[in-house]
Amino acid sequence: MAVLEVADLASGYGEVQILWGVNLTLEKGKLTTLVGSNGVGKTTLLRTVMGLLRAIQGTVTFAGQDVTHLAPHARANLGLVLVPEGRQLFTEMTVYENLEMGAFSKRAQAHVQDNLEKVFTLFPRLKERRSQKAGTLSGGEQQMVAVGRGLMAEPELLILDELSLGLSPLLALNLFESLLTLKKSGLTMLLVEQNVQMALAVSDYGYVLAEGKVQLQGEARSLLNNEEVQRTYLGI
Amino acid sequence: MQLLSSLIDGILIGFVYGVAAVGLTLIWGVMSVINLSHGPVMALGMFSTYLLFANLGVNPYLALIGVAVFGLVLGLVIYTVAVHRVISAPHLSSLLATFAVNMIIIGIGTAVFSTSPHNIDFSLGSISLGPIILPATRLLAAVAAILFTALLYIFLYFTRPGKAIRAVANNRTAAELMGIPSAQVLALSFGIGTALACVAGGLIATFFPFTILSGGPYELKSFVICVLGGLGNPLGALLGGLLLGGLEGLIPTVMPVSWVPVLEFGLFILVLLVKPSGLLGAKS
Repeated sequence: MAVLEVADLASGYGEVQILWGVNLTLEKGKLTTLVGSNGVGKTTLLRTVMGLLRAIQGTVTFAGQDVTHLAPHARANLGLVLVPEGRQLFTEMTVYENLEMGAFSKRAQAHVQDNLEKVFTLFPRLKERRSQKAGTLSGGEQQMVAVGRGLMAEPELLILDELSLGLSPLLALNLFESLLTLKKSGLTMLLVEQNVQMALAVSDYGYVLAEGKVQLQGEARSLLNNEEVQRTYLGI
Repeated sequence: MQLLSSLIDGILIGFVYGVAAVGLTLIWGVMSVINLSHGPVMALGMFSTYLLFANLGVNPYLALIGVAVFGLVLGLVIYTVAVHRVISAPHLSSLLATFAVNMIIIGIGTAVFSTSPHNIDFSLGSISLGPIILPATRLLAAVAAILFTALLYIFLYFTRPGKAIRAVANNRTAAELMGIPSAQVLALSFGIGTALACVAGGLIATFFPFTILSGGPYELKSFVICVLGGLGNPLGALLGGLLLGGLEGLIPTVMPVSWVPVLEFGLFILVLLVKPSGLLGAKS
């Protein structure tokens, strides 16, 4: 069953069109990676899927419902959740308050205690730092807060934009391990990553975005072995 | 002793200035709107306290509850009609929009109440603390000001909608992504800021005569206070209010009272030049 279906989606900024008819389907329970060079429209696609940018044409269907014209907060209420690039934490609020705000939506309210426990099990460090202002944490810890806040939203689909950006390889590896744990629990996820090798290695499926369109898609393993992908994104 | 008495008197009024400034700085901190309708809204607070007292005989301090509710609703209306559509436009747009609201309120207010001074004829006598004698209305005003500020603090830090306001102030996009309806939160913040202005107006009306134009000087004071305390910082605004009130108490004891605005705005410029983030520092 498809959790997210993007059909013929076009969007951009003002006069500048970036996406030219993107088609993408995310299956329930799968971890999918979206690959592409800088400037091909990965973030534009995510912003349009989340409703931060208006679609020029095409549709976004989430859990069987057409959400193309819904506001971002209404999409979050349905369980469409983005962990944005650059974390975008509530830096002036404590770690605990950040997690609380993650659970703002009605659907998340009923699961606050369960999800809090889940997040603290996944990232024990956050439990220690719960009363600290999020802005004072290290980069790795802030990324944990960002993921934790996303999980608090009781996501049906969790989208992670540039999770490993600016983190040490070890921290990135730890975070990817957490993703595998989440995947085992049945969570559907979409990764957008500059660390293509690591991302495809943990994923089930992959899309390659170029010039505002999906150029290539397939099983993550087959993409890893694809010559073009290797040449363009893996430097092999 | 005269000096101490003037200082305390000034600080008591400073609490009320603080409440008005907290309202202004809350609106700025959450949505980066410089609210030029703040002064006339304060004047409406004065008149609504007056009307409740003069027509219905409501105790002015009790009336504050009604005035706060009136302010909240007024703020929601102003936000929805005049501010929401220009919220993402350059600052000049919202500045002009709130200035238009300012002119509309003054125009209607002049038509309804004229510009002759009104007065709430309410006295509680004076209270003497040793050699210092204070009008009881000022003392009660300070108590009410502290109470409303404390309520705001509790609301912002311990309730869900309050935390949502802080989240939206901190990062509006992230708040939207977490399911927080930012448009409603902005409207609520504007409503609370307006309610605080009305309450401050109501308190001022218990000790000074006023007209529909009386809000203007207090609006300007609020700007000075906000800059002293760091724009966007509610606690700083309250402390800035005390500082300004204290100065207003002290200055007339050593020089003619007409020097008060000169020194106040001199300080304003000095702070802008030397420490634009405010004396107490603030988030940028």
